[in-house]
Amino acid sequence: MAQLPPQTIQRDPQLFYWILFPITVVMVLTGILRHYATVLMASPPKKVDQPALKEQRSLMHGVAVRSNFHALTAPSFKARREFLTTAFDAAATPPANPMTDPGAMDGMMGMMKNNMAMMIPNTLIMSWINTFFSGFVILKLPFPITIKFKSMLQAGVATKEMDPRWMSSISWYFLCYFGLQFVFNFLLGSDNAASQMAQQMQGMAPQAPNMFGPGVDANKQFQAEAENLAVIKHYSVLDDVEQRLLEGIKTR
Amino acid sequence: MPTEREFQVAPIVPESVMHNTKALSNLQSLSASIFGVAAGILGLESYSGFLFYFIFTILTTILFYTFRVAPTSLKSGLGAFDTSRYFRTQYEFWAGGVFGGLAGYILTWTLFYGLVRA
Repeated sequence: MAQLPPQTIQRDPQLFYWILFPITVVMVLTGILRHYATVLMASPPKKVDQPALKEQRSLMHGVAVRSNFHALTAPSFKARREFLTTAFDAAATPPANPMTDPGAMDGMMGMMKNNMAMMIPNTLIMSWINTFFSGFVILKLPFPITIKFKSMLQAGVATKEMDPRWMSSISWYFLCYFGLQFVFNFLLGSDNAASQMAQQMQGMAPQAPNMFGPGVDANKQFQAEAENLAVIKHYSVLDDVEQRLLEGIKTR
Repeated sequence: MPTEREFQVAPIVPESVMHNTKALSNLQSLSASIFGVAAGILGLESYSGFLFYFIFTILTTILFYTFRVAPTSLKSGLGAFDTSRYFRTQYEFWAGGVFGGLAGYILTWTLFYGLVRA
């Protein structure tokens, strides 16, 4: 196979100051803006009226007893189980309609806001780059890629014979989009809301079921919790503790 | 693999595990971007560039192990290269950073390669 000489393109050094640098700065600043917008738009937790709060707390009580039963002695666990199951079986309330419940609308608005904070800057920057910077070749990738990427990397550059390693401004945008995480880590701390990537990961992860969300039947939850409590086979972490202690002393 | 019962006898604090993982991933994403600068200035291309990245990331992880993990973990009776005192899985410690920092590495590598060489 004949070795082709590497293509060289004479580029104006001004391209750096007028394309590469502005795009990078805008991407970083957008990330910082997104972080602070998310922080500022986070709505404070809603006040819950007394009966609903009581419901939540007693359910949490049940969950806490169920998950920490190993720290209790057998008689005290039995007494708690008695009390909670009878209380849960006695409780009953009708579920609320999610659309009329103001709390539910609040939750949906929060999700909308987050999605907006991601969507709007992306669309704006994409169209900004396409309007002002399309058709410029600014960088060369340091590794070869297949011809398939040509249409993506060289959008707006209609040159047939050009090596697909040359990339236009829009592909620099994509590189920034994926690779600027470390800058935000450095500037804003590691649990920032700046990176789109991290937020998308979050969006993809299965959401924890909303325990006290609107429209959840409290009565059913209570009954399920009572059942969960009833089936626990109790043991204590202190069972056989003296043997473990002796073994620990022996091995020292 | 420890059973549920053993976890209850000697519980693991999730906050501390999070903190350890975060410290490691912060170090790796920052160092990956600096390796990208180095590779770009050296003018590495294709395979040698990726090889450079893998070698130096693994070197960083080994240094992290020797200076931060090994002193206390060897003292507490764990074997060499056993990170279970501070991290949940071995895989997370040894290979997690390789993929976490790759995007940042490619970004700075491309930028400095483009500025210095191409």
